[in-house]
Amino acid sequence: QNLNCVTHNLRKMVCTWDISSKRRHGQTDFCYTTDGLFLPVCFKTKEKRVEIPVPESSTTVKIITNSISGTAFATREFEIQKKDISFVPLTPRILSLRPDFSTSTLTLKWSDNGSVFPYGLDAFWQIEILRKETMEKVTQVTYYSKLTHEDNILSWNWTSDMPLECTSHYVRIRCYINVTQFVGHKDWSDWSPVEKAPGKDTEPNGSGLFPQDTVVTVGSDVTICCVHEEGRQVQRMSYGAEDYPLIYLSSRSSAIRVLNASASNASGTNIVCRASGDWMDGTVLFVGYAPDIPEDLSCETSNFVTIKCTWKPGRPSGLYGKRGTKYSLLERISGKNVSCEVNEMKKERVCGFQVLGDQRTYSFTLGVSNPVGQTEASLLVDLSQRVHPETPEKLTVSGNSSTSVRLHWFINGNFAEIRLLCQIEISNGHSEQKLHNVSIPGGQFSTYTAQVNTLHPYTKYQFRVRCSAADHFWRWSDWSRTEEHTTLEA
Amino acid sequence: MAAADTPSAALRRRDLCSRGIRLARKMRSDVADLLDIYVEQQGLDASISVAAVEGVPVAAADRWDEQTGAQRLLDNLAAYRAFRALLAQMLEELREELGSADAALGQALAAVLLQVSAFAYHLEELLQLESRGPPAEEGSGLPAPPHLSLFEQKLRGLGVLRELAQWAVRSVRDLRQLAKHGSGSGPASGPAES
Amino acid sequence: DSRIQYERVGADVTMKCGSMDWDAAVTWTANGTDIDDSHLNGSYLILKNVDLTRSGQYSCYEGSSWHLKYQTYLKVGVPPKEPVLMCRSNNYPKGFYCSWHLPSPTYIPNSFNISVIHGTREMVCEKDIFPKNRCHIRYLQLFSTVKYKVTLTVTNALGKNSTTLTFDEFAIVKPDPPESVVAKPVPNNPRRLEVAWQNPSSWPDPESFPLKFFLRYRPLILDQWQHVELSDGTSHTITDAYAGKEYIIQVAAKDNDIGTWSDWSVAVHATPWTEEPKHLTTEVQITETTSTSTSSFMPPPTTKICDKGAG
Repeated sequence: QNLNCVTHNLRKMVCTWDISSKRRHGQTDFCYTTDGLFLPVCFKTKEKRVEIPVPESSTTVKIITNSISGTAFATREFEIQKKDISFVPLTPRILSLRPDFSTSTLTLKWSDNGSVFPYGLDAFWQIEILRKETMEKVTQVTYYSKLTHEDNILSWNWTSDMPLECTSHYVRIRCYINVTQFVGHKDWSDWSPVEKAPGKDTEPNGSGLFPQDTVVTVGSDVTICCVHEEGRQVQRMSYGAEDYPLIYLSSRSSAIRVLNASASNASGTNIVCRASGDWMDGTVLFVGYAPDIPEDLSCETSNFVTIKCTWKPGRPSGLYGKRGTKYSLLERISGKNVSCEVNEMKKERVCGFQVLGDQRTYSFTLGVSNPVGQTEASLLVDLSQRVHPETPEKLTVSGNSSTSVRLHWFINGNFAEIRLLCQIEISNGHSEQKLHNVSIPGGQFSTYTAQVNTLHPYTKYQFRVRCSAADHFWRWSDWSRTEEHTTLEA
Repeated sequence: MAAADTPSAALRRRDLCSRGIRLARKMRSDVADLLDIYVEQQGLDASISVAAVEGVPVAAADRWDEQTGAQRLLDNLAAYRAFRALLAQMLEELREELGSADAALGQALAAVLLQVSAFAYHLEELLQLESRGPPAEEGSGLPAPPHLSLFEQKLRGLGVLRELAQWAVRSVRDLRQLAKHGSGSGPASGPAES
Repeated sequence: DSRIQYERVGADVTMKCGSMDWDAAVTWTANGTDIDDSHLNGSYLILKNVDLTRSGQYSCYEGSSWHLKYQTYLKVGVPPKEPVLMCRSNNYPKGFYCSWHLPSPTYIPNSFNISVIHGTREMVCEKDIFPKNRCHIRYLQLFSTVKYKVTLTVTNALGKNSTTLTFDEFAIVKPDPPESVVAKPVPNNPRRLEVAWQNPSSWPDPESFPLKFFLRYRPLILDQWQHVELSDGTSHTITDAYAGKEYIIQVAAKDNDIGTWSDWSVAVHATPWTEEPKHLTTEVQITETTSTSTSSFMPPPTTKICDKGAG
């Protein structure tokens, strides 16, 4: 009785039955006829289990149970309809379970055993993550794939809410194949045996706090665990100056859960674990912000030798030293990339870039990154429109007449490609002040001269000068030092 | 063998010892301030206990009173040379970890490093006086630090500074003994005296 | 066999008359006085919510023959509270002592056990004959960063309690007050007083471990003390005394480099020289004295530092 047939591959089915009589019995004669067969197929079996083809519509089965001496003592016939057959896929086979401790990610790989099934079937995979000695269910996920009549290796990643070192994680999987045309009962496969990603609390000398010296974003929820030797009891775990309630993971591992972590100070927040026997260990957690998009990115040149880019960094990240924000300047036309040395404590950020031969247009992208994020800002610059000359130096005033003087000054830089507009400020003691503009062809690291007329004889004057680009004005240089000169007597 | 104690040598030693004591006491007070900054900046609990740190000269001494003056000087010199390397190492680690974020701690540490170097030089002068001459420095200082986690690095730094603070007190006592007894053995009341 | 039975204050106590049956006729006495039947349940003696007055000798006699069947001494008390433990080195660098007391009496005998751990070493604490609640530990090592851990456990018949102190070697160094403090006027100097004192005799080696001192003085008519810190030497001349006013003077001591200030010395009185010399009085015990209790010593900011050179 209770004849039950299950197929795992839609082609063959395994039928099993019970024998109600308590009498001792010998072999069984099993005969079946199915559509397309004129003669029944018979064979003997000791087990109450046979594998026969799945019928197109139905199969007739005759089971003759014999005594030890071989005489038949019970015969039973069954009519198996397609709808009476159950379809249960074979238990999936996990190929590998790889922990990536740095990202707390488990990577599961398994075979979909697709070659057994026709092309195009929808397959659903239920994956369960279990944890702790008590195998508590952490999560259950359903993954979908399409079978391709080939054995494909499927892969699935899962990031744990706690470091994988903290305790062992277990994974198991089962599948359901949606064979729409199969009229029988369809069910999930059995769960696969669990695959284990062992935690540090299973290693003989495994001890310490995890994560070790990591960086997270402000507002994150973080689980930090303390793995210790067998036989010790964790007494206290503190995050910064505050003790946190302990979460038991295993006999060698306890954890705390920090919610909505706030920014740490420069040296990070200490997490200290104290256990029996005066044992103590700790780790450091850095909590900071991802870098803001740089504001007011601006690039200019003061000498056509180097380009100086400046920007405002936005909100401080709260991360310093080797975890601080790194800046790099990529010039897309030339493909040249430079990294920028930046002092986190200074408000203004500066990065220098060499002028490239006679390239005039520069397409800059300022890349910004730190351990919890990255961003960038871009700027297209025509260098000749971004000239901000250096302060004119060595200003001298000479004159051999009572109403005019000749000024000389030097500007550091190569302005041979542009004209300079220079402004001379003339003032004398009677709060009389005049500006005299002069346009001069630029030179290479050279001295410039200009004449100023219509002065008063025998009068003391103060002169100073500043320059900018004549075409496409961008910025004046700073004023030079002031030079005094008295015109000759009339 | 210690030099015969001519009056001028004794006077010179007493002067060097007295200046050394002042330097050691200033160093101790600065190390105490540095410890406060370090504990606060590194987010440590001031009462945290630190196991003996490998490579850090231990100030604790059994039968301290039975040491000869030369032994005291040699122990002191070896210790401060080691501290010079340890503090330089700490400064390097701090720059890497904090960049320019904590200038205060970096400056305080650099200041103490200067004092430690000066004190080591002072001890060499004293040894010179004992016509023994300071021993050559072994290698370029400490072996490369073992790879430590950041927390272990913080505790190690704390251990170094605590031990340095103890050494500064011991140095004051040692120099006082030296000033009193010269480089020969010097009975001082000590712990184990019956 | 005189048996002692300890019971907590407030407990209910039941005593059986030795092997006598419950319904046997007996007589109970407390310290020789018959106890009335209201306290009896058959031959059992029932004492409810006992207090200290219930302590005493209880005897049970067989009714007719007056044979003594049972006798016990009942002691009513309480389990020990957490003991108060203090450790101090007043003879650095020889060693330190620890002393303890119970915050409240237990009315029954207690036994004290002290353990001193330094790193991995267990150190011997040699008990003093007097006072009983004190013992001495000799330093085996100096200048150690390893903390000392002293655990005192007190036990009596009704319970047990303990307290633990953890301290650094330097933290407990506290000399005894300076001794033989003497203050006297300076002839022909109406504003001067000469003060001299001696190192505490308990301090073993002032030369190798010099002490520095803190002097405080005020005229009796004022409340505000004046202070002066002296980095060495055991004498000082006060030069700003009010003429003709009687002064009270005290001195405290501290190791030059470590530890805390001693208590104030015994107070002495003196009056600066005046035209008609005044009779000099010295009193031994003045309310200002804080020789036994530890006063929280805070040198006020008006301190003048006299540094006659280091070393």
